[in-house]
Amino acid sequence: MGLENKLARALLVGGGFCAVCSSTSQAETALSVCYINHPVQVANVAILEKWAANQGVKLNKTVTSYTVYLPKITQMLTSGANDQCDIIWNNDDWGQDLAQYLEPLDDVPNARKVEVGQLEPFHTADGNTTAVSMTTTAGILFYRADLISEAELPRTWDDLVKISQTLQSEKKVKWGYVGGMSYTNTFFSFWWTLWNNSCDVYAPAYERDNKKLAANGWKPMIYSPCQVQTAEFWWDALNSKKISPPGMTTYSRDEANAIFQAGDAAFTVADTTFLGTFNNAERSSVAGKVGIAPFPVGPMSNGVHTWIDVWGWSIPRTLPNDRKTAAKRLLGAMLGDSDGQIEQWNQTGGPPPNTDVWRTLEKNDATWRRLHTILFKPDHVHAAYYFRNWATVHKVYSDTLIRAMKGKREDITATLKAGSDAIHAGATAND
Amino acid sequence: MTARFTKFGFDEKERFMLFLIAPAAIVLACFEIIPILIGMNASFREWSLVNPQRTWVGPKQYIAVFTDPVFLKMVLPNTFVLTIVSVGVSLALGLALASLLNRPFFGRAVVRTIILLPLTIAPVITATMMRWSFNDQFGVITIFLSYLGLPDVAWLSDRWPSFALIIITDIWIWTPWFTIILLAAMQGLPPEPFEAARIDAATPWCIFRRVTLPMLRPVIIVCVLIRAIDAFRTFDQVWILTGGGPARSTEVFSVYAYVLAFVDLDIGRAAAAAGIGALIMLFVGVGLYRLVNRSMEVS
Amino acid sequence: MISFALHTLRRSIFAISIAAIFVVFVGPIAILGVTSIRPASGVFYIWRGTNFTLNNFVEVLHQSQVVQAMWNSFVLSTLATILSLSITIGSGYMLSRFGGWIQRSWFATIYIFRTVPYISWVLPLYLVNTRLGIYDTYVGLLLPHIAVHVCFFSWLMKGFFDGINPSMEYAALIDGCTRWGAFCRVALPAAMPGIAALAILCWLSTWNEFLFALILSGKRTPLITSTMAQFVTETGTEWNLMSATAVLAMMPALLVTIFGQKYVIRGLRM
Repeated sequence: MGLENKLARALLVGGGFCAVCSSTSQAETALSVCYINHPVQVANVAILEKWAANQGVKLNKTVTSYTVYLPKITQMLTSGANDQCDIIWNNDDWGQDLAQYLEPLDDVPNARKVEVGQLEPFHTADGNTTAVSMTTTAGILFYRADLISEAELPRTWDDLVKISQTLQSEKKVKWGYVGGMSYTNTFFSFWWTLWNNSCDVYAPAYERDNKKLAANGWKPMIYSPCQVQTAEFWWDALNSKKISPPGMTTYSRDEANAIFQAGDAAFTVADTTFLGTFNNAERSSVAGKVGIAPFPVGPMSNGVHTWIDVWGWSIPRTLPNDRKTAAKRLLGAMLGDSDGQIEQWNQTGGPPPNTDVWRTLEKNDATWRRLHTILFKPDHVHAAYYFRNWATVHKVYSDTLIRAMKGKREDITATLKAGSDAIHAGATAND
Repeated sequence: MTARFTKFGFDEKERFMLFLIAPAAIVLACFEIIPILIGMNASFREWSLVNPQRTWVGPKQYIAVFTDPVFLKMVLPNTFVLTIVSVGVSLALGLALASLLNRPFFGRAVVRTIILLPLTIAPVITATMMRWSFNDQFGVITIFLSYLGLPDVAWLSDRWPSFALIIITDIWIWTPWFTIILLAAMQGLPPEPFEAARIDAATPWCIFRRVTLPMLRPVIIVCVLIRAIDAFRTFDQVWILTGGGPARSTEVFSVYAYVLAFVDLDIGRAAAAAGIGALIMLFVGVGLYRLVNRSMEVS
Repeated sequence: MISFALHTLRRSIFAISIAAIFVVFVGPIAILGVTSIRPASGVFYIWRGTNFTLNNFVEVLHQSQVVQAMWNSFVLSTLATILSLSITIGSGYMLSRFGGWIQRSWFATIYIFRTVPYISWVLPLYLVNTRLGIYDTYVGLLLPHIAVHVCFFSWLMKGFFDGINPSMEYAALIDGCTRWGAFCRVALPAAMPGIAALAILCWLSTWNEFLFALILSGKRTPLITSTMAQFVTETGTEWNLMSATAVLAMMPALLVTIFGQKYVIRGLRM
């Protein structure tokens, strides 16, 4: 009798416990967000976390190493696995490749509140966007405000060389310009000068519509005069005018930033997000002495060009509906949170994703006004092309230019010409 | 005759043999052989990680790799130079250090621990540290060398210095490995031949050449083979130190395959490149085995 | 007189080589150690400035992922060591003591698969793991880490058993032991020092293994090397934190090496 009683009670308690368990697990949706350890992403995930708590969603954070992020995410998406990530970081470089595996996000509130042309790299064939913005990444010229006044800022490459050489001869800095140059750091040396010399990787310059580029035969501009001028500018900077350290061809952001932050260089080009780092006294010995400026232009330039590209969040298509809805709700909340986005800007220098918030900043933030004038007023160029083998072409381009840097000055044109076929073939390989 | 065979077709000894290798064979099959076969299957296909079509294309990928001038003129020679120099120098240093440690002296245990230090750090960290230490602007070692009055070398940005740096790093990581195995082998050698040589008043060099080396032969063969195979597929150090640059001039075979797989996301071509590497190593390994065997018999 | 000069010469060569060993082997470790106690602003120009800090270690140890990764790596290395040794002992013994087609084909298999580069099986391995539903689990990390060692260890184990005179086992067989008994009671104890030595090398190589850790570990199973890779970010390398973690990761490895050293030296003969 007693035993039966106990057993019954145990069953009852157990059953009740299970019921509680299952009811809580139904009520609480768990979402996993997969990203890399970048200050802007960390800051944006903090906004997502805030809203997840608010919406009763449990947010799991998976930080993946940058080196394997793309292969891992690609393999996850192509195999249709839906148990690893519910929200993923998406980059315009590979947005086109992944669009077919991603959920259209046009129904997320404020999804379209971005600069004109910024979401196209994430579009599906029907013109739906598969990403919402988390920030805009863009490169900008940083200079030592304690050495160069705003009136003296370089407007052309020649100015840049002259100012550098003067500062170097006065022993104020060891080097004039330092920036990343090794593969994947092409933006911070070769490309910003390329785009500011009326030049590009394929003709016509600044075109990113694959149809128009194909109609023009995917013609590489790699040995056109504007590109040769760019290569010669860097060859001189490294080898004859010596405004940049000779080892710069191997530099990633680590080396370039280390040298700039140590006060050994007058100029560098890096992501706007470094504004915070360069002015952080704990990391940089030039804190408080760093200003931002427009790019100096080359001899053939018809005006400054900046590159601005959106980093986004996306949702895999294979998710079950309840998690899709929850993830979309969360992203919508982030896009509507103007305080959170301003906090992100203040902390990291990463522009707020929602362009409505820009208007608020325009009114009461002088740094933003400066950045906005430099970055968003000039013409824009996309920092990538949108075809399958773009990464391959980028590497071929980088290898070719670095080969030219290590060779003789008179061989530059020939070296560049030798890379032309591979750059053409890269774009047409999958046609 | 038939009585020796059981219903499985194996006799008692053979069943024992199979039983001994069974666990190893199962793990090997599931987590090495099957993935490799999947990879090999991919090497005959047009297989991109994005939008995988998996169209059968026959040996097209192999032909593409074999007709790639970069693979033939840069990647293969670099890989062989790296393998030969790294294994050769680490073997020589390993023998020297092992002989040094093979006799008692004050503080031997400390020196032995010091020599093992490189094994306790992940090669990725070692390579990153070398990269910073040899930087032309802030590298501690570069600055130390110029303080000693040596001429400035662009360690990372010129082809041969950066290739030398890759090899130096590899040697630094792997010399302890040779040392420890050779030292263990030396301590296991029987004392009689050495006593006989000493009675004949042979010089230490002569004893090393005529007595120690021949007795160490089997160990050296296995060490050289195992290390040569590993050196042939060195990846971490090269990728971190130079990324194969400047302009692909220090690219080795596994960097070539890595770029295909992880940058181009072209699984098919990458698998073909890896397969070619494995085949080359297979034949080189057999040749090396014969060569080492013969050269040591002669000496 | 001449012999005295020779003696002095020899002594000084000896002293110089010991000094050289010290510089070459301790130098880079010292650089790593100094880096780990430099603040973020002085981490690249470590020779400029004299401020040092232990904050890097504090910051790293405050990241629960680092501590968890250390523990995971420790468990993984230990289990992988025990299991890979126990499955390769039999395999090495078979290669050493028996002949015939089974032995020859097993040796050929081991040799062939040793030559295949990691790159070519790590991505398919990810596929296999997801298909078996063991991606991002301890089992999914452990089994491939064992598979890595099968070829190399079987080969070395063969070497150990080759160095042991088989006559004792024959005697045991004649005395009525089974093959199994002869293996366990006679051959195994004799090979024990070598096995102990291999255990240390195995532990160290699993602890420091990178590529597999990177691809096969996920959010639930961080490992120390893949966690260190996360200090390499899009915005550059957090070298101060990375070197602090590397120094922390070196400690268990150093302990294993120091305590295991005796066995490594005594055991590794082939």
